[in-house]
Amino acid sequence: MSDARALPRRPDRFFPLAVGGAAVAIALLFLIYPLANAILGAFVRNGQPVTFANLTLANFERFLTSVSYQRALWHSITAGAAATALATAISLPMAYAVARVAMPLRATVLAVSVLPLISPPFIGAYAWIILLGNNGIFTNLLRDYVGVGLPSIYGFFGVTVALALSYFPYVFLVLQGALAAVDTHIEEAAAIAGASRWRVLRTVTLPMILPSVAAGMLIVFIKAIGDFGVPSILGGEYQVLPTLIYYQIHGFFNLNGAAAIAMVNVALTLLALGALAWINRARAVATVSGTARRAARPLPAPLRWSAIFYVWLVLVVANLPQAVTVLYSFSERWGDTLLPSIYGLENYRRIVGEIAGPALNSVILAGAATIVCLAFGAITAHAATRGRIAGRWAVDLIIMVPFVLPGLVIGVAYLAAFNEGALVLTGTATILIMAYFTRRVAFVFRSAAAAILQLDRRLEEASTICGASWATTMRRVILPLIAPALLAGGILVFATLIGEISVTVLLYSARWKTLTIAIYEYLLGNDIAKASAFGTVTIVMTFALVAAASRLAGRNMADMFR
Amino acid sequence: MLSIRELTKTFASPSGELAAVDRISFDVAPGEFFTMLGPSGCGKTTTLRMIAGLETPTSGAIAFDGRDYTRVPPQQRNIGMVFQSYALFPHLSVFENVAYGLRNRGVKGTELERRVAEVLGALQLDGFKTRLPSTLSGGQQQRVSIARALVYRPSMLLLDEPLANLDAKLRIQMREEIRRIQREFGILSLYVTHDQEEAMAISDRLALFNAGRLVQIGRPGDLYRQPATLFAADFIGRANFFAARLAGRDASGAKIALAGGPELTVARVVALAPEEAARVPADVDGLLMARPERIGIAPGSRGIRARIGRMQQLGGCQRYIVAAEAAVGEVTVDSWRAGEEYGEGADAALTLDGSDCVLFLRPEKSA
Ligand SMILES: Nc1ncnc2c1ncn2[C@@H]1O[C@H](COP(=O)(O)OP(=O)(O)O)[C@@H](O)[C@H]1O
Ligand SMILES: [Mg+2]
Repeated sequence: MSDARALPRRPDRFFPLAVGGAAVAIALLFLIYPLANAILGAFVRNGQPVTFANLTLANFERFLTSVSYQRALWHSITAGAAATALATAISLPMAYAVARVAMPLRATVLAVSVLPLISPPFIGAYAWIILLGNNGIFTNLLRDYVGVGLPSIYGFFGVTVALALSYFPYVFLVLQGALAAVDTHIEEAAAIAGASRWRVLRTVTLPMILPSVAAGMLIVFIKAIGDFGVPSILGGEYQVLPTLIYYQIHGFFNLNGAAAIAMVNVALTLLALGALAWINRARAVATVSGTARRAARPLPAPLRWSAIFYVWLVLVVANLPQAVTVLYSFSERWGDTLLPSIYGLENYRRIVGEIAGPALNSVILAGAATIVCLAFGAITAHAATRGRIAGRWAVDLIIMVPFVLPGLVIGVAYLAAFNEGALVLTGTATILIMAYFTRRVAFVFRSAAAAILQLDRRLEEASTICGASWATTMRRVILPLIAPALLAGGILVFATLIGEISVTVLLYSARWKTLTIAIYEYLLGNDIAKASAFGTVTIVMTFALVAAASRLAGRNMADMFR
Repeated sequence: MLSIRELTKTFASPSGELAAVDRISFDVAPGEFFTMLGPSGCGKTTTLRMIAGLETPTSGAIAFDGRDYTRVPPQQRNIGMVFQSYALFPHLSVFENVAYGLRNRGVKGTELERRVAEVLGALQLDGFKTRLPSTLSGGQQQRVSIARALVYRPSMLLLDEPLANLDAKLRIQMREEIRRIQREFGILSLYVTHDQEEAMAISDRLALFNAGRLVQIGRPGDLYRQPATLFAADFIGRANFFAARLAGRDASGAKIALAGGPELTVARVVALAPEEAARVPADVDGLLMARPERIGIAPGSRGIRARIGRMQQLGGCQRYIVAAEAAVGEVTVDSWRAGEEYGEGADAALTLDGSDCVLFLRPEKSA
């Protein structure tokens, strides 16, 4: 008596088709349609329908005629470039020190180095005002006791520094990884051939990691030109493309005009992205997988301790905003002294009644978006890594492009797509959830794809041969094996969404006000005490979640951002 | 001349300080090809790296031609080194890889071109000047790394398992090549390998390491014929051991009796270190070591009684794996006499010549 009769007679096609079809539908509706619609909208005058006859370049003419448009473009490029340069200058010695110098608490250093990435940049930006603003703590201390006046923090200087300190971990991590991967024997070979330490660095080490330097710089540049929070807090009159988009919408509700600005912003981003793809190809060729078992030759003690001091100095300065926010939230009086003069929980008492609503909203929106990301990300990752689907690169592209596009751009695209017509979502939770999903699905996609690639393909074949249907194979074999990666990716999505502002600020409604919007409003209303208490809650929540995710994945927090 | 004196290197390990290299001393003569041999993890690389200046000795001294090198940085030692991973500069062409050390020494222009071309020629790399390392085969990369190490005429050449990444055939070809070039340049060379056959084939002298200690130094033949410890006997070539009882001593050596076998006089007597004495069976005084090709095998029962377990045809000779009376473990016998093949399971007798054997005695018996 054989069990063959219980087996499905034909290979089942239903589940993969149904699941795949749903994924394609979501991609079409929430990824492709809004972006395509925004691209078309940029070529139509405000309020007019998209028809062939209506196509025009009028929205872009402002870049030729309006000084404020030209300034914003110029500011985006210069502040982005300056922030990138500063971040790289900070990161190069730091990466070398962490990768090569015998350093106590190296794992801690790495984990702390990504804190600036985890905490929302606009909260940090405000802390710089508390420290260095016109009436800032350091500003006053320096003026009263040293007699030195600081330049205004508003404008190019403040935006550049805050962006650099917020995003430097990207370039730092790339460089540190590249340096750690270099086969140290190659540098030893150079030393033995008679090259001094400095010469080895200049002629061997730096040229070898040059593609990584460029790649890290481009990531920082892409992030910096897409950031809304920092320039909106520290910019003042100094506008950049994302703030310009914001005012086009909040001031004039000129969706088509905003779409045109967004396209210019996208063009900049894609230019950088193209360069990045080109460099990454070169990088793959030049990479020499290291067998760097040996510790590098020790530096003389004074140099070594200077290096360690430098690393911690950067960490402290970059995390100063987070520290100030927390400190401020627990202070009841903070006048002209380095530290608060009276501590207390007054600020928290004042927000008790107000925080529940926004916090709950944030959790619901981020949670729902995370669930969509998990389902969609896992399925597409499986299809992209295992399926025999044509256009695998297209899947990659559809998922990765929204990930790198500025949040304001996604926001504009969603507003334009779902404001009227067949599917009206403006003001709903759905629009926020789907916009969040668009911006973050890449996290899950990437970690799931990596996990699936590591699975032996024969596991699936074995499951199929044992008679399991596609759905059973997914449920019983694939999902349990990639669950830790999925969960870690999911928590990361959730955590970073709690601090999301740039897409939220365009799409939220009175009903769905989030934590970050509440903070933003307090900051604009100059209620720093409440903002800092809200900010502290947000920062602590985000940190705790990311720490949990890294625990779960068994990886250093830093590795979750590589 | 290179002199190593009481060289020691300890590393911090979870279980306390670990001596990776423990009080090692040896000298290497100008132009000599000297090999450090030993199982993986015995401290060869660490020793080599201390000589290169890449690792700082915990104690001890390194001197070259009378000058103390112990604390001199690697840049100033004027040595050449070949790494197992080749460690070629991936961003530089073959020419620039080889030219690197010359540029560090301020050599320029036609002089540079000439010297690089000379070395590339010696290593049959003339056609590869403009290629990047990643486009070369393993053997070619190895040649480039040797060329890079030799071009500035270093005072010694260090090679750390340079053949480990090559396939078996290329390995044998390259080791002849290395030896040829070493002779051509007449350069003092320090070679590290865990492969005893390679070490025997290539070296003028070799140093056998075990667990951070130097076990024995000598010419390859000396180490093979006169191992100083059981470890050395085991590690180099094949060794057969028989349980031996001491019957007496005289000027010609030690008289011993093998269980069930004839009496033998052995000239080479070695006192075992206490830690190796544990390998001697409880009821005897020591172990007699004989090499496979030094054991006679014949039909009948005149000698040590044995039974053939397996026979392997090794081309020139037959190898018999036999179970023998008095033997500790299996006995391997290589017989070069054509035609005398014994079937598996057949009885045979083994004969030994005392002048070919080494006797390892318990410490208290060898006084
Ligand atoms: N940098 C290091 N730190 C700690 N232990 C080391 C280090 N380098 C080598 N060792 C240890 O020293 C011992 C000898 O290593 P090595 O010299 O590489 O051996 P070999 O080259 O003979 O295989 C090994 O036990 C190894 O684990
Ligand atoms: Mg080694």
